[in-house]
Amino acid sequence: MAECSFGLVGKGYVLIASDTSASRSIVKMKENEDKIKGLGPNLMMAYGGEPGDTIQFAEYVERNLRLYHIRHNHTLRPASAAAWIRRSLADSLRSRHPYSVNLILGGYDHTSSMPNLYWIDYLGTMVEVPFAAHGYGAYFALATLDRFHDPEATLEEGLETLKRCINEVEKRLIISLGKFMVKIIDRNGMREVEL
Amino acid sequence: MSIMEYNGGSVVAMKGKNCVAIASDLRLGNQAMTVATNFEKVFPVTDSLYCGLAGLATDVITLRERFRYRVNMYTIKEERQIEPATFAQLVSSTLYERRFGPYFVEPVIAGISKKTGEPFIAAADLIGCLNFAKDFVVCGTASDKLFGVAEGLWEPDMAAEDLFETISQTLMNAVDRDAFSGWGAIVHVITPEKVISRTLKARMD
Amino acid sequence: MAEGGRSGGAYSFSLTTFNPSGKLVQIEHALAAVSQGTTSLGIKASNGIVIATEKKASSILIDDSMIEKVSVICPNIGIVYSGMGPDFRVLVGKARKSAQAYWKMYGEYPPAKVLAQEIATVMQEATQSGGVRPYGVSLLVAGWDDHRGPSLYQIDPSGSFWAWKASAIGKNMVNAKTFLEKRYHDDISLEDAIHTALLTLKEGFEGQMTEKTLEIGVITVPEGNTLTMKDGRPLPTFRKLTHEEIKDYL
Repeated sequence: MAECSFGLVGKGYVLIASDTSASRSIVKMKENEDKIKGLGPNLMMAYGGEPGDTIQFAEYVERNLRLYHIRHNHTLRPASAAAWIRRSLADSLRSRHPYSVNLILGGYDHTSSMPNLYWIDYLGTMVEVPFAAHGYGAYFALATLDRFHDPEATLEEGLETLKRCINEVEKRLIISLGKFMVKIIDRNGMREVEL
Repeated sequence: MSIMEYNGGSVVAMKGKNCVAIASDLRLGNQAMTVATNFEKVFPVTDSLYCGLAGLATDVITLRERFRYRVNMYTIKEERQIEPATFAQLVSSTLYERRFGPYFVEPVIAGISKKTGEPFIAAADLIGCLNFAKDFVVCGTASDKLFGVAEGLWEPDMAAEDLFETISQTLMNAVDRDAFSGWGAIVHVITPEKVISRTLKARMD
Repeated sequence: MAEGGRSGGAYSFSLTTFNPSGKLVQIEHALAAVSQGTTSLGIKASNGIVIATEKKASSILIDDSMIEKVSVICPNIGIVYSGMGPDFRVLVGKARKSAQAYWKMYGEYPPAKVLAQEIATVMQEATQSGGVRPYGVSLLVAGWDDHRGPSLYQIDPSGSFWAWKASAIGKNMVNAKTFLEKRYHDDISLEDAIHTALLTLKEGFEGQMTEKTLEIGVITVPEGNTLTMKDGRPLPTFRKLTHEEIKDYL
């Protein structure tokens, strides 16, 4: 829960930000951990939760979506990939060892030329949203996004809003999460952006 | 904390004269934190039959998918659309299959029989015990409030317009007294000819 | 692969393998078993269906009241067979179980077509599975449902099934079908159909035709909207005729 990730959609793009800390109990073990995984050319996923489960599940998803790409010669659309990932978590929830992983999934759908953002939790709850957040930071980020988010915002404005969220979390959350990593997906694919 | 109240949300269905209505709120929460305000809990089964699901959101989605699968298989195999009463039985059996590890969802069913033209509503608990009501059925975190308001507003033999007004007022006033439901609503009024779906402007606090 | 020491040629190592001319000979043998069985027939009338068969015991010492060749599957469906009695008994068991499973899921009994398809699937599996032989029976399934009304299906050992207005299976099926073709018309009543059924069976009947050597089942189309009885149970649309009733028709 100390981890924090959030995402938002703007005009033709989707942004996802995640903290870069890897901690164990109260000890910060690493402060440059990339917790946003690219899942093919037009999909990315920020993941957090139980250490171990997170990487295991993220790689499971990554390899299965890659397998789909190889088998069918095209990638799954974001909506279909999200549905598959959700089902994996929902099935896992009622297994003997459920994954405890929360996700924010962002993608660009070339069929509809629209960016998509999905909020998914470890229970398999999924909803498509204009902006999303996980962790304690969500309490501050959601309030900030409620006030400042604009689905028609340009990339500059979107990044500005994202900065506000990060600043708010850094200011109000008693835990310092260190640096945030931001990635974007638009019609040109995925890339990291410096804030 | 109850699992049934983890995400919040409420559904209500009412019978009218030759019509039925079913409505849900749009909130999806994580306990007290609202995550989304576009989470519909009522889904079409056939063109004159709808099913509403309130409870744990992951199970709402999973069950919607399972019902869709089973109804599609039924439609193909039997070369006919499923009747409301038959679908109610299907819902009940699907839930009871998981008697000792249930889906945390209470379903509400509303439709009009293609065969007889009779309006039909029903609700079930999370393990599939059916309740066929003559007037209205409710479920979700605002169910106690919904019972109260519906008891006061519902009258027998309402026409489609009256029914829409009644179910809308019932839902909106009930969810306003519930912290876990609200943030907008969607109403479907089903008549033998068509379905009218409207999203309602509601209090967003 | 080696011959295996059994007779029947190179392609008899598995009962469910095609021979070079593209035939599953076991299915043809099963059909031969059916055509040795006693004649059964079914006729769809405007207000119902009749299915009937000849019942004969191999010895006068057998208590023929125990033999059942027309079976109730569920209140709206009955079946009759030609071919091997024990195989029929197994299929009746599976069909009844399937009907009850359907009832448990949907709160009503299956339409005739769905049940016929279910039995046909069971019979088809026996033509493709290892270590089994096909069922040595053909069936006539008579049923009523509010979707399709009265319907009559025939299922063969291969697992194929068709709907009929009237059909016959077993020893005299060719003659019986020719006879039915001459006698059948679309607005035949159930009473007339029962008489036609008896007349058809009479051709090539071995021995005396009595209420003891006949079995008859009928579907009666319910009138009005009364699909349930007073106690809430579904109205039985299929029933077997009693000895007295059969006697009256003779």
